[in-house]
Amino acid sequence: MRAERDPQSAPMQSQVNWALLGLVIERPSYAYELAQRFDRTYAGVLTLSSVSHAYTALAALRERELIEELPGTRQGRQPKPHYRATAKGLDGYGQWLVAQLDEDLRRQRLFILSLATFTRDPQTALELLARYEQACLEEARGTPIAPRTAQHTGVCAGGAPELAARLAAEESRLAVGAKLAWVEYARRELMALPGARVAAR
Amino acid sequence: MTLLELHGVAKRYREGQLERVVLREVSLRIDAGELAMVWGVRGAGRSTLLRVAAGIEAPDEGVVRFEGRELSGHGGDVLGAGIGYCQKLLRGGSQLALEVVTMPLLAAGVSPACARTRACEALERAGAPGCATLRAASLDTAETVRVALARVLAHDPRLVVIDDPIQGVDLFERDGILALLRSLTGEGVAVLASTTDATGLAGADRTLTLSEGELRGPPQQQLAPVLALRRPAGWRASA
Repeated sequence: MRAERDPQSAPMQSQVNWALLGLVIERPSYAYELAQRFDRTYAGVLTLSSVSHAYTALAALRERELIEELPGTRQGRQPKPHYRATAKGLDGYGQWLVAQLDEDLRRQRLFILSLATFTRDPQTALELLARYEQACLEEARGTPIAPRTAQHTGVCAGGAPELAARLAAEESRLAVGAKLAWVEYARRELMALPGARVAAR
Repeated sequence: MTLLELHGVAKRYREGQLERVVLREVSLRIDAGELAMVWGVRGAGRSTLLRVAAGIEAPDEGVVRFEGRELSGHGGDVLGAGIGYCQKLLRGGSQLALEVVTMPLLAAGVSPACARTRACEALERAGAPGCATLRAASLDTAETVRVALARVLAHDPRLVVIDDPIQGVDLFERDGILALLRSLTGEGVAVLASTTDATGLAGADRTLTLSEGELRGPPQQQLAPVLALRRPAGWRASA
């Protein structure tokens, strides 16, 4: 007989749950306000299907003891229980954030391995590489620049959303730069394959 | 409106017995008010591309046209009148930045008073009015780029060509330089720049890579073939 699997012991997969935990860590609050903040913060990246999705996610976080209810906030005719992160929640969130790097590397490796299957057909590989390079150039072109002004001297210049936008843009620009450099390297490797130079020209 | 056209440009250098191909079949069109950025690793041919585009070097094959005029044979004229090739190396380190910007104007025959006014305006436009009374040698990299751009802008170019404007620039100053180039396009000036740092591609109208002398860009940015228009025999410009 197989043992019952404890759902709480399995890693939490939901990106929404982790993102919501981040907002609770940023500032303890209640479900409706967290849902509003979620929409503002993660617009275009993650979505809540409805406000009730926030309630479900908070319940899951609470069951996993990643958050806890703030005492004294479930009072009055319309109680608004506020939540704060537990020490376990803070630690788990940090681990999840760092694990995103592994996810990025895994995706990148998958792409490279997929491309490498065409090494017997260098022309196709070079064409795919060119399309990938074009996508990188488009991404680079679409990334905004953010000149720093005198007001950008504070610890959190421009407020958290502006700072987050600058950090995201910089990460994207650096990542595209690394990809373009890799494309250059890969192109030279592929061009060195027999027959590739003739095929590419 | 197309300002600069490169069509089928090739450039080769002799290195002893060997011939090195630096640019191969490069075609490019830059419109007025457009910011085009070319990324490439060292040795990719970026600097050669910019010198050829600015008319400083003639191509071995192909044509370069600025405002419809072929650059070979007109390079000197066009450089003075319409193309500003920005040299970041400011000679005369003991000179004040204002003098660095003023001197080429004086050399071009502009009166001292007018040259000074235009230099001050150019420094303002380049975001470096505070550098006017500083010695060129004391400027940091970002300030040097701004003063170098001011020196070019003082001549009211329609195309600015600059090689690696953000190289060595402090991380927090970098986007200020890019924003300055962007602001020039808002005034109708076209900018052709190169970069070894791909973060410099952000916000450009057109992004290209140069690899082993070949220019590449996304298909939607690729340009229609350039047709060489010949004037009919006996054609005359109307008054």
